[in-house]
Amino acid sequence: MTDIIRTRLLSKNYDKADVLTSVNMTVKRGEIYGFLGPNGAGKSTLMKILLGLVQPSSGEIELFENRLNFDSRDHLKRVGHLIEIPAFYEKLTALQNLELHTEYMGYYNKRAIHEALELVQLLGVENKPVKQFSLGMRQRLGIARAISTRPELLLLDEPINGLDPEGIHAMRNLFRRLRDEWGITLLISSHVLSEIEQVADKIGVINNGRLIREVSMETVRSSTTDYVEITTSDIVSAAFVLEEKLNIKNFRKISDHVIRIYDSGITQDALSKGLIMNDVPIESLTRRHHTLEEYFFDMIKGGVDYAPSHQARA
Amino acid sequence: MLHLIKLELKKGRFNSYLWGSMIAYGIIASFLMLLYFVEGKAQIDPAFQNYSDMLQVIDIMVRATFIIYASVLLSKLIITEFKDKTMALLFTYPISRKKLIFAKLSIVFVWVFANVIIANLIIDALFIAINSRFGYVSDTLTSEILVQHAIYVVMQALGAAGMSLLPLAFGMRKKSVPATIVSSILIVAVICSNNMGFSLSSIIAIPLSLAAIGILISYLSFRNIDRVDVS
Repeated sequence: MTDIIRTRLLSKNYDKADVLTSVNMTVKRGEIYGFLGPNGAGKSTLMKILLGLVQPSSGEIELFENRLNFDSRDHLKRVGHLIEIPAFYEKLTALQNLELHTEYMGYYNKRAIHEALELVQLLGVENKPVKQFSLGMRQRLGIARAISTRPELLLLDEPINGLDPEGIHAMRNLFRRLRDEWGITLLISSHVLSEIEQVADKIGVINNGRLIREVSMETVRSSTTDYVEITTSDIVSAAFVLEEKLNIKNFRKISDHVIRIYDSGITQDALSKGLIMNDVPIESLTRRHHTLEEYFFDMIKGGVDYAPSHQARA
Repeated sequence: MLHLIKLELKKGRFNSYLWGSMIAYGIIASFLMLLYFVEGKAQIDPAFQNYSDMLQVIDIMVRATFIIYASVLLSKLIITEFKDKTMALLFTYPISRKKLIFAKLSIVFVWVFANVIIANLIIDALFIAINSRFGYVSDTLTSEILVQHAIYVVMQALGAAGMSLLPLAFGMRKKSVPATIVSSILIVAVICSNNMGFSLSSIIAIPLSLAAIGILISYLSFRNIDRVDVS
């Protein structure tokens, strides 16, 4: 698979504040890249740099395998975007807004507009002026605008803002469809992991302007399973009982007193009953759920710890 | 470029501006008529001494009106687009930013130039017709006067069109619509005010050099637009 976005040591600073520091990011063609980080981490700035709205202070960007310059414009034909709260010509209707957009983009296919409106479920209100639209409708119209030119790359900054649960669900399906049917590569930013964990193929975590980690969702999922933790004074007989009597194979000794059981399917009740019936002393038995949220929170916290040392160096 | 201008006109619903200038013509004409009929008869110090005087007063009214009108256009086409963040949207299109801005500025330039000439034509013709009936202005209208005035109007229209871009320099500092419009009114107050039959703009070099400054300042303020961060 080819890389559709590649940045190398990309940095941006305003006066003396560093907004982005040495970001090396890679987005492959055809994937949904979840761009995760707290507010003010630099997500929007990075997207604006990719769109040419903001000039980087240093570093390189390659889009569609072409190096960008400060006045590169041609690549923008292939990019759709939704940055922050989408801006529209308020007095014009939704349809007129989209028509203007496609004209400026140099994309002439009236059916694509209709299709885009259909995909975000805005057919029927396309002749209303945008000033009558609610926040959620604007957001959806923004997405329709972004996909109305059939881009290869879609940059979506907090696209789920202002949508109701039903809308969020529909949006997730839409993202998958765009990837699978239209072959669009999506870069979706969010500060809430749960919004994107279900659709993303890869996740990039950014904090304080640093891209802390890029990791595929598969890796993330495999490292974040549920487990039951048993603390016991007799670990040998506990292991024996688990394996022979309760028929549980997937467990691990963590220390001399602690055993963790992974995805056993056995309930806590049955587990404690089985152990006690076989005279295994139990000090505690707890179900732990290591959520993705925790996983990323740890990562971001790690990033915070890392940041001061960097500042000290600067 | 023509395509960009067409899109701007489509977006701005330009018909309303055409109506606006019609109304402006009407108001200028009726104000001058008031002047003509109330003061024209006066034996001492009449409103218009002679034809060339009358035509010049018409011209100055027209220019003052359309320089201020231009500031409204500038506000709509440029300042408000920056404020509403639709300019950021425009800047994500595969079009050079300079071209986008140039399309907008040329609309304003041509708009003022065309309106000054058309308004002069219509209102001049109207007043020559009225005067041929009422005759308050008593000298004879020679073709020499007309030709001279025609050249004068074209020069002044050029001057007004260039000058009309000046308010942008003030308005862009804080992206403020009031600043744009107020500065255009100030420019008009200084340039077009008539003191005892003399106004700064009657020395043709002054409006023309101000026009040159207007164009230069607009160029300078957008020279680096392709490198500027837009948020």
